[in-house]
Amino acid sequence: MSTLPQTAAPGMLQAGAQPAAGAAARRLLEEVEQAAARAERRRRRRVAASRLALVLVLLAGWELASGRLIDIFFVSRPSAIMEALWRLLMKENLLYHLQFTVLEAVLGYVAGAALGMAAGFVLARSDLLYATVQPLLAAFYGIPRIALAPLIIMWFGIGLNSKVVVAALMVFFIVLMNTIAGVRNVHPELIQIARVMGASERQILQKIVIPGAAPIIITGLQTAVPQAMIGAIVGEFISSNRGVGHVIGRAAGWFDTPGLFAGIVALLAVVLAMNGLVNLLEARAARWKGGAGLSQPS
Amino acid sequence: MGQTEAIIELESVSMAFVTRPRGGSHRALLALDNVSARIERGSFVTLVGPSGCGKSTILKLVAGLLRPTAGRVLYKGRPVQAVNTDVGFVTQDDNLLPWRNLLENVQLALELRGVPRPQREQRALELIERVGLKGFEHHYPHELSGGMRKRASIIRTLVYDPDVLLMDEPFGPLDAQTRMVLQDELLRLWQGSGKTILFVTHDLVESVALSDRILVFSRAPGRILKEYVVDIPRPRDVFHIHEAPNFNRIFDSLWNDIRGQLLEQRFRARAEEASA
Repeated sequence: MSTLPQTAAPGMLQAGAQPAAGAAARRLLEEVEQAAARAERRRRRRVAASRLALVLVLLAGWELASGRLIDIFFVSRPSAIMEALWRLLMKENLLYHLQFTVLEAVLGYVAGAALGMAAGFVLARSDLLYATVQPLLAAFYGIPRIALAPLIIMWFGIGLNSKVVVAALMVFFIVLMNTIAGVRNVHPELIQIARVMGASERQILQKIVIPGAAPIIITGLQTAVPQAMIGAIVGEFISSNRGVGHVIGRAAGWFDTPGLFAGIVALLAVVLAMNGLVNLLEARAARWKGGAGLSQPS
Repeated sequence: MGQTEAIIELESVSMAFVTRPRGGSHRALLALDNVSARIERGSFVTLVGPSGCGKSTILKLVAGLLRPTAGRVLYKGRPVQAVNTDVGFVTQDDNLLPWRNLLENVQLALELRGVPRPQREQRALELIERVGLKGFEHHYPHELSGGMRKRASIIRTLVYDPDVLLMDEPFGPLDAQTRMVLQDELLRLWQGSGKTILFVTHDLVESVALSDRILVFSRAPGRILKEYVVDIPRPRDVFHIHEAPNFNRIFDSLWNDIRGQLLEQRFRARAEEASA
């Protein structure tokens, strides 16, 4: 988000867009714009610096407290975790395990999101269908979907497939519910006006409903990213011989706290990377939305 | 017949809506009660009346977005049986697509009708320039002022050259100055275009300033109470419409009709309260 601290009301002077403004006024506006840009850059630098400081303080506190205030057996400490991470990377093929977990999560995410969106569009556009399956959906949505994981492993085996299915299931309902909410949120007048303009049903879906529902769907897609990871990892915990979930489970079995934390750190890195990708998608799709602090013109 | 050709005819149109209060049973409410009217081609006709008298319902009937419960709605002599894509609909909210910039919004109807990009862009740019929005083509709706958005919503309807414009309180949400400027612009766009405008408003001054004929509706269920022919010559000056010779006569008479309806409405409500 790159919004200037002062947002102009629509139609007000802007340095670039107002040829009618006099040279002096234009220079003044340019100065104000540059000052605003500088202030924004300064603010961002400050936020980045304080975030870094916070992480360092937390890590230092952890390092110092462990062994002195808290038993090192339970909490390990950052330096030991880094060592364990290094060991995992160099000697125990962390990347090999990571690759499976990521593959499971990504496949599950894509499948769950695609099916969730498709089902959502169909359900939201048919009242009868929606009324029919709504109680069933609510019931399924209410079950902690993790509880289904053992069943799915029974059905699909201990290999890749079962984890993909668990991850897809985690993603499916979130995306489905958001798609339905998004479609229902499209203003009916927009659709009526498009009809009068001569839009076919297909055009209404393409040009009005899908873009209109996109912001809420994208929120669902963002929420679902860590869920796909959770699905894959839980599947691996329950039963598997590879993947980061397996590595963490094994470390726990050996009471290897640093190894356990190292696995978690690896997961954290992957989830952050995946979130980054989805945020990129959102930034592209939502260019038309007003930035934060935009005054609502009347 | 000696009369100009009617483009829209309402023949004994009644419209009922069904509501169902929470926990109650279905109730049918009459919004329009046996309304007949004919709108001549090329005329500017305004519908005025108290809120909830079914004025907007008439626009939706002509657009084919609703079907009458009884009676017939004719467009160019034929009953309206599907969505009427020959008309343009301008609503109270501008209803621009927030994810499209101005140029893309104005082009929408041509895009839906399969007009190739160069032609539709050229047509859109012409209209954008005509209403003074040049320089804002790539702005999104949230970056435009209320008046600019309203202009955009009018030209994105004009872009496909509909024979009839249905306008549902289009200037309602605007401030007084912007409203007058837009009334003036609307008259300029309409003058000599041959288009028919059916215009719903609460604003009696607006109805006199703009239209050839005013249909006054009763409180719900809506019936046509009276009809005025506004014999103020054109082109009109909306900024000085108060000074037009017949303005006061028409305005006072209109206000009397509406006030009568409002008083009756209040009287009814009290009587119902008392009997309950």
